[in-house]
Amino acid sequence: MHTAEALLRLEAVSWDAPGDKPVLRDVSFALGPGELAWLSGPSGGGKSSLLRLINRLAEPKGGAIFFDNKPLGDYAPPELRRRVALLPQTPVMLTGSVGSNLRAPFGFKAAHGSPRPDDAQLQALLDGLGLGGVGLDQAAAGLSLGQKQRVALARLLLLEPRALLLDEPVSALDPESRELVEKTAVEQARAGRTVLLVSHQPPSGAAAMRRLVLRDGVLEEAA
Amino acid sequence: MSGAVPIGWPQLALALGFVLLAGGASLWLKLGLGRDLIVGTVRTFAQLVLMGYVLLYIFALSWPWLVVGVFAGMIFFAARIVAGRVKGKGVPVFWPVFFSMLLSYMVVSFLVTGVVVQAEPWWEPRYFLPLGGMVVGNSMNAMALSLERLFGEMKNRRDEVEALLSLGADPAEATGSIFADSVRAGMIPSINSMMGVGLVFIPGMMTGQILAGADPLVAIKYQIVVMLMLVGSTTVGSVLAVSLARRRMFTPAAQLRPLG
Repeated sequence: MHTAEALLRLEAVSWDAPGDKPVLRDVSFALGPGELAWLSGPSGGGKSSLLRLINRLAEPKGGAIFFDNKPLGDYAPPELRRRVALLPQTPVMLTGSVGSNLRAPFGFKAAHGSPRPDDAQLQALLDGLGLGGVGLDQAAAGLSLGQKQRVALARLLLLEPRALLLDEPVSALDPESRELVEKTAVEQARAGRTVLLVSHQPPSGAAAMRRLVLRDGVLEEAA
Repeated sequence: MSGAVPIGWPQLALALGFVLLAGGASLWLKLGLGRDLIVGTVRTFAQLVLMGYVLLYIFALSWPWLVVGVFAGMIFFAARIVAGRVKGKGVPVFWPVFFSMLLSYMVVSFLVTGVVVQAEPWWEPRYFLPLGGMVVGNSMNAMALSLERLFGEMKNRRDEVEALLSLGADPAEATGSIFADSVRAGMIPSINSMMGVGLVFIPGMMTGQILAGADPLVAIKYQIVVMLMLVGSTTVGSVLAVSLARRRMFTPAAQLRPLG
C-alpha cells in the first residue's frame, strides 16, 4: 500500500518493558481505511504492547507511529484515543448500569458535547451484538464475561473511531459471543474502518484480510 | 487560681516508675522492648526539654522569620514522614507534600491565630507555634492516609484507569473516583474526632490549659477552634497532596506511569 493512503503507519517502532527488557524491535507496517488485519503470535510476543503504543498508553522507545499521516504526538491524547480506539483483553465495567457504562465517554471533556445516544439507539446497538436480553438499567457488574466484552465493544463503537484495536477480544468467550464479535470486526472494516484484531485464531467470515505475526518482538507479514 | 501546681524534678523522676513498670513487663513477658523503652524515654526527656528551651528563646526573641522558619522546619520533618510512607512506589512525592503542607498549614494557622484568636501580631509565637504544630501533627496523618489510598487504588485499579483513558478521558476524569476515595480516607479521622471529642476523650490542649489554670470555658473555645481548624487543614492538605501526587503519576501524554 502507498504510505500516503495509510491511516495507521508504524516505522521501525521499538519498545522495552520496564527494566529495559526489549519487547518490540523495528516493527513497521501500514494499514489503510477499511483494512482488516489479523495479528497473531505466541503469548508474550508483544502484541498487547503494540496495541498500547498505537493507542498511546505507552511511548515507543524508538521509531515513529503515524495516524492519518501525522505523528501521534500531534494529537491531544484523549482525541487520539477516541479515534484509534482500543478494546483491552479484559473488559472493564464501571460501577453502575449497562446504560451508564455505554454513556460514560460522553461525559468526558474530549466528547465536546457530542450528542448523547438515546435509549433506543443503545438498545439497538446491544441487539446487534446479540445482547437483546440485556437491559440498559441492568447492573453491569452482574453480566457474564462474554456479555461484558460485548458491552465494552459497544461502548467503543459509540465513539465512532476511525481505527479499532481489538486485543484478544474473543479469547475468553463462548462460541456464540466469539462469532458475534468477529462478525462485528469484519463489518466495521467493511464500513471503512481500519481494524487490527489480535487473536490466536483467524476471524471467521472475513473475505480479505492481512495476516501479521509477531514473534519475539519481530513482525512478519504472512502471505 | 494561680497556674498549675509546679512539678519538681524529683517528682518528675517518680513518673519514671511508669516506664519501669513497662520495662518489668517487657522482661517478664519477653517482649524485647527494653531497648526501645530506654531510647524512647531518653528521647522524650531530651526532645521536650530542648523544645521547652527553644520555645522560651523564640518567645523572648519574637522574630517573625524565626517563627516562620521553625514552622517550616516542623513541616519539613512532617513531609519526610508522609513521603516515607509511599516511598519506593514509583513516584517521589516529598516536594508536592512539602509544598501542599506549607501552603495549606500556613493559611490555616494564619486564619486561626490572626483572624479567629486575633493574636497581635498574627505570628505571635505563643499562639502560632503550638496551634500550627497541632495543625501539622494532625494533618500529617491525614495526608499519609490519603496518599497511601491513592497509591494503592491506582495500582489495584490500573486497568480501569487505562480503560477510561482509552475511552477519551483525561487523567483527572479517569481517576475521579479514586481521587474522591483518597481525599475521603484523609478526612474521616478528623471528622470522627469531632464526633468523639468530649465524650470519648478530652483533648490534650484543653487538658493542658485547664491544668495550667485557665477558665474551662476559654479552654473549651480554643479546643473548638482547634477541632474545626483540623477539619479544614486535613481537607485542604489532602486535596492538594492528592492532586499534586496524581499529576506526577501521569506523563505529559496522559500515560499512567509504572507504580511500584
